Amino acid sequence: MTILLQVTGLTKQFAERVVVDGVEFTLEKNTSTALIGPNGAGKTTTLSMLTGLLKPTSGSVKMLDGNLRANIGFLPQYPQFHPWLSALEFTEMAAKLNGVPAKKAIVEAQKTLEFVGLGNDLNKKIATFSGGMKQRLGISQAIVHKPKLLLLDEPVSALDPVGRREVLDLLKGLQLETTILYSTHILNDAEEMTDQLLFLRDGKLVEQGTLREVRQRFDEPNYVVEFSTEKEAKLFASQSELVGEAKGRNVYIEIINEKPSMQELLQYLSSNPYKIRKVERQTASLEEIFMKVARKI
Amino acid sequence: MRGFTVLLQKEFREAWRSWKFLWIPLVFALLGMSDPLTNYYMMDILNAIGNLPEGFEMLMPELMPVDLLQASIGQFQTIGLLVIIASFVGAISKERASGMATLLYVRPISFGAYFMSKFIVMSTVSLISILAGFAASVYYTVVLYGTFEIGTLMASFFTYFSWLLFVIAVTLMMSAAFTTVVATACAFAVIFIGQIVDAIVGAFWTISPWKLPVYGVQLMRGTMEMSDYWWSLSITLAITIICMSIGALTMKKNASMTKI
Amino acid sequence: MMEELAEVPWAVIAPLIVVQFILMIIALVDLRKIHATNGPKILWVFLIIFTSYIGSIAYFIVGRKQS
Repeated sequence: MTILLQVTGLTKQFAERVVVDGVEFTLEKNTSTALIGPNGAGKTTTLSMLTGLLKPTSGSVKMLDGNLRANIGFLPQYPQFHPWLSALEFTEMAAKLNGVPAKKAIVEAQKTLEFVGLGNDLNKKIATFSGGMKQRLGISQAIVHKPKLLLLDEPVSALDPVGRREVLDLLKGLQLETTILYSTHILNDAEEMTDQLLFLRDGKLVEQGTLREVRQRFDEPNYVVEFSTEKEAKLFASQSELVGEAKGRNVYIEIINEKPSMQELLQYLSSNPYKIRKVERQTASLEEIFMKVARKI
Repeated sequence: MRGFTVLLQKEFREAWRSWKFLWIPLVFALLGMSDPLTNYYMMDILNAIGNLPEGFEMLMPELMPVDLLQASIGQFQTIGLLVIIASFVGAISKERASGMATLLYVRPISFGAYFMSKFIVMSTVSLISILAGFAASVYYTVVLYGTFEIGTLMASFFTYFSWLLFVIAVTLMMSAAFTTVVATACAFAVIFIGQIVDAIVGAFWTISPWKLPVYGVQLMRGTMEMSDYWWSLSITLAITIICMSIGALTMKKNASMTKI
Repeated sequence: MMEELAEVPWAVIAPLIVVQFILMIIALVDLRKIHATNGPKILWVFLIIFTSYIGSIAYFIVGRKQS
């Protein structure tokens, strides 16, 4: 894998307040990275520094493959457009400003708008656009010049569930062609589309790695055994030598240091006369991990 | 000057679609008409209002065409400048405050080009505006009073236009440097308070941008001391260029003020 | 009354009225098309129609909402 972006010691201080504190990470080509963290963790400030709009107090952002400014596409959380322009005019302008030749710019703008689902609204004034349409236009202006790095600030947070699904699918389609770094506080989204996770808390990068790595570090999985009746479940929980907690027909068995193993559990269960409906290993959702990371000091 | 033509096109579209190419010239046309008309019909107006004592005769000064043009320029200098400054002072600061600038600033554009494109569109709007204003004033003056000499009229027109370029450069520079409210205050202070100061204590000097509109009129009267004129014109153009340079630089420096 | 109306030099006054009228129409057309204004739209309609050109100027400078 080749590295596209290298961020070292990125720090931003506003007066006395350190908003981003020594953030370091690298982005590999054609991967997606989710920047997650609670509100006020410094996600937007970090992204702003990556775009070059905000000067870091110290630290550096380096694109190893060309000039950073010419090779990024950026979608702010609340993109603001010039309302008297049409979607096509705006996207075309965006392409041209990034150096796409005039003739190609109009073709690319049209294609991109069709790709994001605004094919029927090319010549409508942006003033008449709904929130969802603006978000699509925002994506189109960010990708029309085929940037090497796509920076998206909360790309789907403001959308309704249907819009969120559609836009998320759009972004997944882009994953193959470009490198994406996006911030979000909606962890289901991150779970769906990520090669690397960056946890930001109070301006510091507290956790990073692939989804699997982070999971392994924070996962405290359970087994869930579902019995056919509540009575059986209670009976099992009180009698078994495995530490279990009964809730309804389910018994939750904590796994400590891989004990018991699945095998041990199954053996134990089969040697007893229980009617079992389901045995499942339950891993923590990203949300649970997030809560743990957010609370960890 | 990367992106200059693209940005210029964007600025033109904006000015056109917000009717600036139409409504500002129309306002200047109205301003240009008002003085020749009201002066000419002053007696009628006074009569119509009525209650003039029997046998009342007001001594109306004998007005020359150039007096009426001077009166019209006086209108441009108050309401006209107010309109121009107020409609352009947010050009950079409002774009930043609303976040519209973000999607442009994040691209590899030249801030010099962006500043210039705004300056050019504003100058064009202003040029058309004073063209309409001068035309209206001159038309009524010619119909009601008498004719002008075309050469000095043109000289006066372009002198006034040079003054407007100065006004626009100051306005845009303030917009680049400050938020809209502060920029408005500063631009008004430089342009209007500058005029007042120049009128009160300006007798001590003869070279100043604020004197340029009056000098334009004096060109027509033939009472202009030409060296003062050329010095004032040159200094005005020099300050205009300095303001534009400072404007483009502060626009770049303040790029991070844009709402993200 | 008719006599007085006939005395008004219409040829001279007409351009003034026409320009004011066009300015008013542009302001009203823009008001009709624009998404949102600062202050209620109906207020601007009255201002533009009843305050000669001052209302129109005020509308273009402070009435139009851009974002």
